[in-house]
Amino acid sequence: MGHGRFLGRRTLVAAAIAMPRLGRAALPVRFGLTPVFLDSDLALLRDLGRHLETALGSPVQLVKRRTYQEIVAMLLAGQLDAAWICGFPYVRHADRLSLLAVPLHRGRPLYQSYLISDASLGASTIDDLRGLSHAFSDPDSNSGFLVTRWLLAARHERPEGFFNRPFFAYGHRNVLRAVGAGLAESGSVDGYVWETVADREPALTSGTRVIGRSDWHGFPPICCLSENRDGPAAQGLATAFIEMAESASGRRILKTLQLGGFIPGEPSLYDGIARMAATVESPT
Amino acid sequence: MTPPGALDPRRWPLAVRVPLIVAMLVAGVALATGQAVLSRLARDQERHLSELASAFLDGLATAVQPAAARADIWEAFDALDRARARYGALRPMLFAVLLPDGTVLASAEPRSIPSGTRLAAALAAQADAAAAAGRPVLDADAATAVLARDLAEGDVPLGRIVAQADIGPLLAERRAVVRTLVLANGAFALVFAAAGVLLVRHLLAPADLVRRRLTEAARSGRPVPVDETVGIGPEHAALLAAWNRAAAASAEREAMAARLAKEERHAQVGRLAAAMAHEVNNPLGGLITAVDTLSDHGDDPAVRAEALGLLRRGLGDIRNVVRAGLVTWRGAPGTAALAAQDFEDLRLLIRHEVARRGLSLDWQNELPGKVAVDRTLARQVALNLLLNAAAASPPQGTLRFRASELDGGGAVVEVTDAGPGLPSAVEALLDARDGPPPEDGGLGLWTAVRLARSLGGRIARLPSDTGTRLVAELPAAPAPMEAVHAL
Repeated sequence: MGHGRFLGRRTLVAAAIAMPRLGRAALPVRFGLTPVFLDSDLALLRDLGRHLETALGSPVQLVKRRTYQEIVAMLLAGQLDAAWICGFPYVRHADRLSLLAVPLHRGRPLYQSYLISDASLGASTIDDLRGLSHAFSDPDSNSGFLVTRWLLAARHERPEGFFNRPFFAYGHRNVLRAVGAGLAESGSVDGYVWETVADREPALTSGTRVIGRSDWHGFPPICCLSENRDGPAAQGLATAFIEMAESASGRRILKTLQLGGFIPGEPSLYDGIARMAATVESPT
Repeated sequence: MTPPGALDPRRWPLAVRVPLIVAMLVAGVALATGQAVLSRLARDQERHLSELASAFLDGLATAVQPAAARADIWEAFDALDRARARYGALRPMLFAVLLPDGTVLASAEPRSIPSGTRLAAALAAQADAAAAAGRPVLDADAATAVLARDLAEGDVPLGRIVAQADIGPLLAERRAVVRTLVLANGAFALVFAAAGVLLVRHLLAPADLVRRRLTEAARSGRPVPVDETVGIGPEHAALLAAWNRAAAASAEREAMAARLAKEERHAQVGRLAAAMAHEVNNPLGGLITAVDTLSDHGDDPAVRAEALGLLRRGLGDIRNVVRAGLVTWRGAPGTAALAAQDFEDLRLLIRHEVARRGLSLDWQNELPGKVAVDRTLARQVALNLLLNAAAASPPQGTLRFRASELDGGGAVVEVTDAGPGLPSAVEALLDARDGPPPEDGGLGLWTAVRLARSLGGRIARLPSDTGTRLVAELPAAPAPMEAVHAL
């Protein structure tokens, strides 16, 4: 499939649907963000907002909340036109959500979950973490919770019984801080975030050690309500992300995020997450 | 070796005691003011620390109270971790949020204070005290301050914030202030002590001058006036003026005594001349009569013998009178230097006395030529010693006389008797500087001592196997000899 021709058509569609929105300029496009990526980089958020506004030709409001749950709830309630969420809530609400774009990390729309421990400990497998404190990222995070919970479920364990005082740090970066500072002896974290932070802030990961990598799962996607899938805002955002690599500002953002770009993505990317979710949520 | 009592401060000179007292007073004042400064500094530091701690706890309590209410480990840690960077001025070493049961919800240093554990007992006790007092509890030994604030929602306790701050810099500042105070006050004390030394010496200089003059006067017997302009203030002026008046009175008295002595001497000369003339004249009539008798009746053996006996006794009396005059008045004092012959005359003078007492005389006159010593006074000294020795020696005893030249000029006269030794009261005359002549013996020695002293010499007793051995050292006069009127 001609990639450039596809993007060109998207651009035209986005431009077409942007015109009516410009007519009601009082309503900005509302885009939700979760800590699936480095949402603590305010300069990056500013650049992303500007880039989207330029691409859409209308104001864009970036909405941040502490937890995935809040953003997903807002998205499901129609308070957001789209949001960058995790694969886990996507598969949970796949009946109501549609994919708009999926990031490419190292050329693939995939990532892993990392199981990390305090570098001073001699742990090498998840079994070595029994009885240690553990930091999860978010109860709605695939890499920061679901994968580890699924691993424990395979051992007929639950986090509360396997770990000593597990807690949620609500952000992959926070998990790195918690393990690095010794607040938690182990943690579950997004592999992409760990690699990116290791590159940009090595001091933050130097106190941690990766002791387990999960299978490859679909990268956290940008979704919208299915009912708004063909709406101008959703289409405009989809086009803006998918064509991000075509502009200088977009390439700067992608470079900062260490992403190759965005693609429309397929729901099947998240089948593995769906299977794990089904496993842990099924009554045993 | 330290003299006894030298360590007693009451015996120290004023020039030492007063500066020491000044230095001690300065040190005392410095100590008192230093204590006040340090106390004020400590209060200010603690107030500042308390205010800083209160602001710190206010801000931190706002941030961690929701986390404490939910027992949210991460939120509590996140708040503490961010606060550490913001409250650098407080130098927090560690801080933690405790749950109501006393366990640690989260600390900024999870590796040293992990979640779920309890604080060390000492730290927990300090936290209890700090929370109860509402201000930091300082531990100077550990250089830490413990802060604590209870968290509550209405009546429901949520936990407690506990922090331990490094107050090392505050204590270091106090130490620096102490060091500065000690150095500055020590320097002030030294300066004031040194100034006190100089001032007291300056103030005591006139009194010290009078003291020295008194000491000299006690040694020489002649008070010397002082310069009244060296006095400071009316007290010193009065002291120096009084000293000068005393010195002047003493000098006047001495001059008067000398004048009286001279007049008395002249009177004595007159009386002696008259007495000698009388004594010589007395036997002359009898002698002339005896000569006439011999002339007329010399053929009669009885008459001749009687006349000759009369002549012998009369001439003997005259000889005695002349001999006494010769001893006393042969030449005027200070008119001639002493020669060996002068002592040879003495040998003749005492020969009769020696023979009368049945003594033998061991005579060694080794005086070479002439020495610059008053011959009359020297002869009188020697004659007195010889007559004393003769009187003290028992019959058959040996009287020894030796005259020689004194090292450095002058004469040495050594007389040794065969007597039982000097009575202590008489021997004391050798060292007595002044005083009346003894009433019960020793007049000759008293006279000899004063004569020797008038010549600038002295008489001393030397050890001897038998009897008493007295040595008169009569140094040469430095200048042309002056008449000395010692008696």
